[in-house]
Amino acid sequence: MLRAIRRFFGEKASGQLARKRMQVVLMHDRLDLSPEILDALKNDIITVLSRYMEIDRNTIRVDLEQGKDYAALVSNVHVKRVFRRAESV
Amino acid sequence: MAGTTLVVTSGKGGVGKTTTVANIGTALAQKKHSVVLIDADIGLRNLDVVMGVENRIVYNLVDVIEGRCRKQQAMIRDRKFNNLYLIPAAQTRDKDSVTPEQMKDLCTELAEEFDFVLIDCPAGIEQGFRNAIAGAQKALIVTTPEVSAIRDADRVIGLLEASLLRDIHLIINRLNHRMVKKGDMMSTADIISLLSVPLLGVIPESEDVVISTNRGVPLVHERNSKAGKALQRIAARLNGEDVPLDDGQGDGFMDRVKRFIWS
Repeated sequence: MLRAIRRFFGEKASGQLARKRMQVVLMHDRLDLSPEILDALKNDIITVLSRYMEIDRNTIRVDLEQGKDYAALVSNVHVKRVFRRAESV
Repeated sequence: MAGTTLVVTSGKGGVGKTTTVANIGTALAQKKHSVVLIDADIGLRNLDVVMGVENRIVYNLVDVIEGRCRKQQAMIRDRKFNNLYLIPAAQTRDKDSVTPEQMKDLCTELAEEFDFVLIDCPAGIEQGFRNAIAGAQKALIVTTPEVSAIRDADRVIGLLEASLLRDIHLIINRLNHRMVKKGDMMSTADIISLLSVPLLGVIPESEDVVISTNRGVPLVHERNSKAGKALQRIAARLNGEDVPLDDGQGDGFMDRVKRFIWS
């Protein structure tokens, strides 16, 4: 009964709140990547980028940034030259 | 042809692994399959009580593995079905008394004799978990619609995939349809989208589960229990039958009337 009254005054149902919280939590948990996987990811990024541009392989950095309600993959690469046409695979 | 070995796991404790193993095993035995249940929760055995055979234990899993008895001596026959057996866990040993390799060998041997080998995994992700999953070809994840259970399930799914066990299905236990309808519980769809693992079945929250474990008689023997029926359907799907994925709301006439009144 008390809940019904609180609902009436605008308290939100908790199911969707739980789902949203879990989306963020699971993303954070899963992003806890091992250094080997991060290295593999870095190499794959280099491979893909190299098809379109010449990059400085030594300066590439891949980091995972975690904010309060988001997680971001931040990668910094020095581009030396962009190819006029993508190299065929 | 060798049988199927399945591990039932969850990460979190108390979500219904043991109940699930007991009921799915019994339901598969009802379907005339030969089934053996292994309680891999060494030190905290419970499957024997849920199956109601706790008085008949002489030898256990560790005795078999250490060669103190033949595996037939440790297998306890079910009270009702003569094609259903249980290998109980040791109660006075710890989880390190078994290695993953030993479990793997035992499961391979048992799969030669039985259609289904069901392993009841301990809670947690340590040695006991490693042992329990070592011999399994398939995994069933049991979770409840609560944040802690779902988070642990996700972690366990990650660990299973890392150890190359990729045949994973999800069982959602204790779903309360009334709360889902009010928006106060995550729905089946919510949970699947979070965990992204194929669903095997949904078991509604039910008092019948407590009553059946009190008696030591698995729920699937009970004809009028919704939770029991949900477990029957899960077993049927494991058996390869094409049972529609009803989310446990029930489809009988009275169920529809009730739903009509509630909504």
